Amino acid sequence: MSLKKSAAWLLLAVLSCSPGGLNAQEQAPPKGLNFPLTQYKLKNGLHVILSEDESLPLVSVVVAYGVGPIREQPGKSGLAYLMENLMFQGSENISPMQHINYIQRIGGEFNANTAFDKSFFYQTVPSNQLALVLWLESDRMGSLSVTGVNVERAKETLMAEQRQRRSAEPYLESFFLFDEILFPDFVYGHPLPGTEEDLRNITAEDVRSFYRTYYVPNNAVLCITGSLNVPRTKELIARYFETIPRGNDVPDPPAPKLVEGSPLRDSQLRESLAPSPAFHFGYRISHLQTGEYYSLRILDILMFRGKGSRLYKRLVKKERVALHLSGGLEDRRGLRAFKVFTISNNPVMSDLCRKAIASEMGRLRTTLVSDAELAKAKDLFKMDYLGRLSTCLLKALFLSEAFLSDNRLEDLAAEYAKYLKVTPVTIVSLANRLFTPENAFTLSLVTK
Amino acid sequence: MNGMGTCFLAGLWVLTFSLPARPQERFRKSPPIPDPLQELRLPLIESVTLSNGLTLAVARKASSPLLSLQLVVLAGESDSRPDLPGAASLTANMIGRGTDLLSAGEIEERIESFGGEFAASVSLDVTVFTFNVLEENLDLALEILSTIVLKASFPDGQMDTVKRTVYYELFEKEKDPEFVAKRQLFRMLFKGHPYQTSIFNEDVIKNVGREDILAFYDRFYRPNNALLVIAGNMNLSTASRKISHYFNTWTARRIDHPLLPSPPPNDKEQVAFIDLPQAKDATIFLGNVIFPATSSDYFPFIVLNQLLGGTMGSRLFMNLRESKGYASYAFSGADFFKSCGVFWVRAKVTPEVIRSSVQEILKEIGPAAMEKASSFEIEQAKSFLIGNFPLKNEPLTSFSLEVARIKTFNLGEDHWNKYYENIILVNLERVLATAQRFLQPRPAVVIVGNKDLIADYLREFETVDIYDVSGNLKSTINKGVEK
Repeated sequence: MSLKKSAAWLLLAVLSCSPGGLNAQEQAPPKGLNFPLTQYKLKNGLHVILSEDESLPLVSVVVAYGVGPIREQPGKSGLAYLMENLMFQGSENISPMQHINYIQRIGGEFNANTAFDKSFFYQTVPSNQLALVLWLESDRMGSLSVTGVNVERAKETLMAEQRQRRSAEPYLESFFLFDEILFPDFVYGHPLPGTEEDLRNITAEDVRSFYRTYYVPNNAVLCITGSLNVPRTKELIARYFETIPRGNDVPDPPAPKLVEGSPLRDSQLRESLAPSPAFHFGYRISHLQTGEYYSLRILDILMFRGKGSRLYKRLVKKERVALHLSGGLEDRRGLRAFKVFTISNNPVMSDLCRKAIASEMGRLRTTLVSDAELAKAKDLFKMDYLGRLSTCLLKALFLSEAFLSDNRLEDLAAEYAKYLKVTPVTIVSLANRLFTPENAFTLSLVTK
Repeated sequence: MNGMGTCFLAGLWVLTFSLPARPQERFRKSPPIPDPLQELRLPLIESVTLSNGLTLAVARKASSPLLSLQLVVLAGESDSRPDLPGAASLTANMIGRGTDLLSAGEIEERIESFGGEFAASVSLDVTVFTFNVLEENLDLALEILSTIVLKASFPDGQMDTVKRTVYYELFEKEKDPEFVAKRQLFRMLFKGHPYQTSIFNEDVIKNVGREDILAFYDRFYRPNNALLVIAGNMNLSTASRKISHYFNTWTARRIDHPLLPSPPPNDKEQVAFIDLPQAKDATIFLGNVIFPATSSDYFPFIVLNQLLGGTMGSRLFMNLRESKGYASYAFSGADFFKSCGVFWVRAKVTPEVIRSSVQEILKEIGPAAMEKASSFEIEQAKSFLIGNFPLKNEPLTSFSLEVARIKTFNLGEDHWNKYYENIILVNLERVLATAQRFLQPRPAVVIVGNKDLIADYLREFETVDIYDVSGNLKSTINKGVEK
């Protein structure tokens, strides 16, 4: 290497290492984000996202609806979760459970899940079977069978599942209670599976009305990724989905009305099933300023992700006061919470856990995160983010989720870059604004 | 609103829901015809043997921003000394627990510092170290991987920690009836064969000392007994340069590692029972020894397995759950090792129908039942396998592990780009011939459950041997009498 060249390399290295300098690696969009994207809307309002990837003869199809527990009314909790079950109970041309049989017979995989404000139905199949999936999905979007018999059967299944879980899973009730403490508004704080009493009260007409209102093309996104031919896929989509009638416009869900100064700031619960004392700790995050979300995500990784995270190292490895540690950032349509849950051997250890968590949260407010620790958190972020795009199905779920969360899909690379621009200063200022005693809530679980 | 208005609206509502809301297009009435099957074009698996004997295999996935590395040491639990079962597992678990210059904590910190994910697993024939990493951090990953494998110091202080971890992992697994049942089945099938060493319980962990681990490491952790697979955006020449750089100090040594003969299939009536007081239902695991994956019978057999018990639409599930209502599930599968394979059936049934369930399973997997198989059933099973193959190999780690499996067992293109072709060529005659050959011998049967709930139903069998979780024979029920 000539002297001139060496000098150039040295200069580049210095620029890369200096805090405000240009980091070439961080500026270039990573390979996992360079995928083709086609988006359009059908006349009935169904948003379509297509992304080709020829590496394997597979396609993933996701149909996601903008509905979840956030759309439920008091006394009818569990309706969205019930709908997830009913979507497999047949439609005009498909008999109950036949959807599953069709997918399994061709070696495909399927599933569904309900989140706070979104419901996902998805399958991955050999690419030559794309039309089959569109036929199945369009049939349940256009003509789901909602009969008194299948609603009652689905309710019984869910109620039995709930009874079994609530009688067998220690701590489960406490998670539901802690959510109600953090989000004291029925719409934002009630449990996803609902209560047995509410499920019993749901009628077939409630289900029909919910289905007519929310499971409509103008409240949905259809995302197809994998080995697909775009013109042919558009033809198939038009054939199966275009004649499904548009529903009424879906209004925005109500803004949260939180009861301020809740008397439940530090609560205690006796849990008959709990074998050991446990502790919930959380901060309610109602408002984020522009750009703060990115710092919050990196902070979440720093505190929770893996055995090298701050809380794991302190509570489990160093002080050994926690037998179990879980938690992280939770987002309920803009209303967020930062939650920690620990299980300890005895009440003394549980109390030490509480102090150690408070001390770690305090450290975030007073001490700058080191560059090395931040770089590690960003590498973990990259692994997670790019990992979420690493298979056809994960990519289709990611894109559907991002679309329903109002993210602009064209800007994924710019969005990704914003996480990498988080600095120790943005984290410390965020922590000082959010992690204050007024935003903190605890729930201690005592064994009976 | 007056009463009449309400009545009118109710009538309208009934009409709306009893008639289709719109005339239906004809094409919606039946499933569409699929397009022609798309060709499967998997990346080439390129490989080279480095000067110290280490085999390097690369499968390029250019679009992937992540890399998955598998370092395969061609020695597993069956290579532990017969008097020291568990030595292979303990050796693998001690990798990453210290070198002359780095402590376990420092190694963990270093891997975490670039977001690396590291894991070790041990099977009968091989030990696999998996490392997932961002492409940009490959050098960091190779540096730490080569350091912890080549310079492992097996510090005394870590031995107790690792032994405790392995002990409790096994102890925890013993709460799972399926784990207990499958282990007992393998214990019965591998009796008297070197594979028997692979089947152990947590009590034997204490017998393995540091010197035993050093001996295992010294003998088997050699480049000429290992394989490194890289999957992701990497070509062979770059990989070869990098691997040579980090692994060139690893020294080869001659290893006598003869291929073990296959154990003979079981052909006598054997029913074993293990008491697991917390179990609510009865778990049945039954099976027998078959051929290794290199056999030409592999493809007809996996079609056969699919037809019998691969999914919820297969015969076992449809009969035991959907038709008879005996089971909450019933599936079949096969595990393949270097010397042999094992075909098994697993089912969870209610205690009062244990005997009937075993009889139904034996009937379903007997060659006589296969004679009723139709070409349609065979085509359905093939359709599942063809469709599912790219799907199960899509995640990068699964893809990389499959490449490692193909290289380890020398399976070649037949199990990779020719997979579709091999499945398509299977026909009813080949499946029937395979069933005749491999389903003829009588499988060994294991039942796991709560003895207090099950004992009466066990007496319906001619003879049942009762074992403890560790595999020690405790008593026998013969013609209804326990001795």
